[in-house]
Amino acid sequence: MTSVRPKLKPDQPKAVTAWDTATGKVVWMADDGSWSDDPARIGVFIGEEADTRLEQASRQEGTVTDPYFMQVTETGDVDGRETLRESIRVNGPTVHPQFQRGAK
Amino acid sequence: MYRYDEFDTQIVKERVEQFRGQVARRLSGELKEDEFKPLRLQNGVYLQLHAYMLRIAIPYGQLSPRQMRKLAHIARTYDRGYGHFTTRQNIQFNWVALKDIPDVLAELAEVEMHAIQTSGNCIRNVTSDHYAGATKDEVMDPRPWCEIIRQWSTFHPEFAFLPRKFKIAVTAAEHDRAAIKVHDIGLNMRRKDGEVGFEVHVGGGQGRTPHIAAKVSDFVPESELLDYLEAIMRVYNRFGRRDNKYKARIKILVSETGEDEFRKLVEEEFAAQRDAEKIALPQEEIDRIHAYFEPPKLAGKDAVSEAFDKAKTADAAFARWTRANLHDHKVEGYTTVTVSLKPLGVAAGDATDAQMDVMADVAEAYGHGDLRVSHAQNIVLPHVALDDVYELYRKLDAAGLATPNEGLISDMIVCPGLDYCNLANARSIPVGMAIQEAFSDPDDQADIGKFHINISGCINACGHHHVGHVGILGVDRKGEEYYQITLGGRADEKATIGQMAGPGLKADDVPVALKRLVDRYRELRTSKDETFIETFEREGMEPFKDAIYAGA
Repeated sequence: MTSVRPKLKPDQPKAVTAWDTATGKVVWMADDGSWSDDPARIGVFIGEEADTRLEQASRQEGTVTDPYFMQVTETGDVDGRETLRESIRVNGPTVHPQFQRGAK
Repeated sequence: MYRYDEFDTQIVKERVEQFRGQVARRLSGELKEDEFKPLRLQNGVYLQLHAYMLRIAIPYGQLSPRQMRKLAHIARTYDRGYGHFTTRQNIQFNWVALKDIPDVLAELAEVEMHAIQTSGNCIRNVTSDHYAGATKDEVMDPRPWCEIIRQWSTFHPEFAFLPRKFKIAVTAAEHDRAAIKVHDIGLNMRRKDGEVGFEVHVGGGQGRTPHIAAKVSDFVPESELLDYLEAIMRVYNRFGRRDNKYKARIKILVSETGEDEFRKLVEEEFAAQRDAEKIALPQEEIDRIHAYFEPPKLAGKDAVSEAFDKAKTADAAFARWTRANLHDHKVEGYTTVTVSLKPLGVAAGDATDAQMDVMADVAEAYGHGDLRVSHAQNIVLPHVALDDVYELYRKLDAAGLATPNEGLISDMIVCPGLDYCNLANARSIPVGMAIQEAFSDPDDQADIGKFHINISGCINACGHHHVGHVGILGVDRKGEEYYQITLGGRADEKATIGQMAGPGLKADDVPVALKRLVDRYRELRTSKDETFIETFEREGMEPFKDAIYAGA
């Protein structure tokens, strides 16, 4: 594992995030189980479903690397202890505006 | 500089193809990340916060213009138009795709470069004085021995799986610009009774348990250096801890064993080895390597350049830049130029592809084709005629590369921090930029004088905060960034670990606290010639601590 992240409680809403294996791009699992680099499509999972989704992700070795839970609100916004780190993953580096997500 | 022979070329080429196969197996899912990770790390590939990061080796920081242009090409073609020069005199690309990395490595091989020894638990890229071969204060040019150590250590079968990474730095100068006392092994070249040899320091390092290296030998003759290094490595390989990653560096072994006992173990191994399996490095091989580092043929010049003096009188900005960014050359009429990669508002050590091309061009036109990366994340042109300096300056200035701040308060060492690094707890670059902003007046910076601020975004200390005159360490407190200040560190021949000043500050409070600290220094210094670190060493922590926390 590249990332060892804090453990989240079963009842906390979570997203499953990882890196695209071929490009290294940050990706999140969407509601339908597909992978997307669009934060607007972050799927929110909870309880056993979340565990199942993470387990599915960890079996997709050629597609994504090092999947883990990211704490989110019920609407999919970054939340919790690692808000800054995960916000930077969502939005891009704070010091290079030209590389932020959506920047042209 | 060193040029590959047919063996080097073959090895690097084969390595690229081997990694190409490994990447293909990873992308097909045949190799899992846990299996692939050690393989990618052996080829300088990390997985960072946003993407893969490729770290490319620049042995002892030396580059040719052709190599610099290749780095510019890689930045443009495979990354996002810039690269980041590091404290280990290497370069990192932050956005490269794994699927492209074999092609990048193949392109690097064309210019005799690779990413070997930039990661993993091996002997890493050897670092050195960025003024090597040009400065007045050196016993001799250390680069030939850096190259010999590089060749000895690359793929050394006995040292491929060390307890942890291992860093060697070499200097030959009176003033240590290579930070040898905070390396696993630091070598200081000396002359004794006409013979050249090495003072050997072992067990320095930063990270969560910083140590200043212990001197284990006053003088190891050139002919015995590799045997002596091998003896140290064997003792480390045998006794270094493998049960706890945080206690696996040689600094812990030296500290836990005790300096005297460690020295005894090394001497015993050295003696046994000398009798049984001495490394006989033929003199012709030593001479062959030295020949690659012959000094450039510099045309005779007067010590004073009329053109240079005239330009300084006519152009105040140029005059200011010359005061900060030039270093005395050993040959009259020449100078060593630092190209600062620390302009206001740019991440320390970053250079765009276009800037890399400019640096290659000016190195070719005015610098005898020699470029160096300094451990302070700047670029150095070691051999420039004084007559050419103004023209060089104007080209650098047009490319945003003429910031007059070498060694001054805005010339900070800054790690990538939480903006890029997967291990970081806090951001480093924005804090550095805010400090630069607070001290943006160049006259103010010149008045403050030599002042080293080093910033790390976590305890791993990639930003060398322990040895900054002012060190800043980013920590995470319940999801919020705080910054701990250390004072009095230094990385030179008087290497010292900085002392913690007190509780951490919020990011916004750091620049104002440093303003107060600098004001206090100005009040206390005996003259403008007394640097901050000298005043600190004379006055101690208290007045500066009071200044930092005066607003609290």
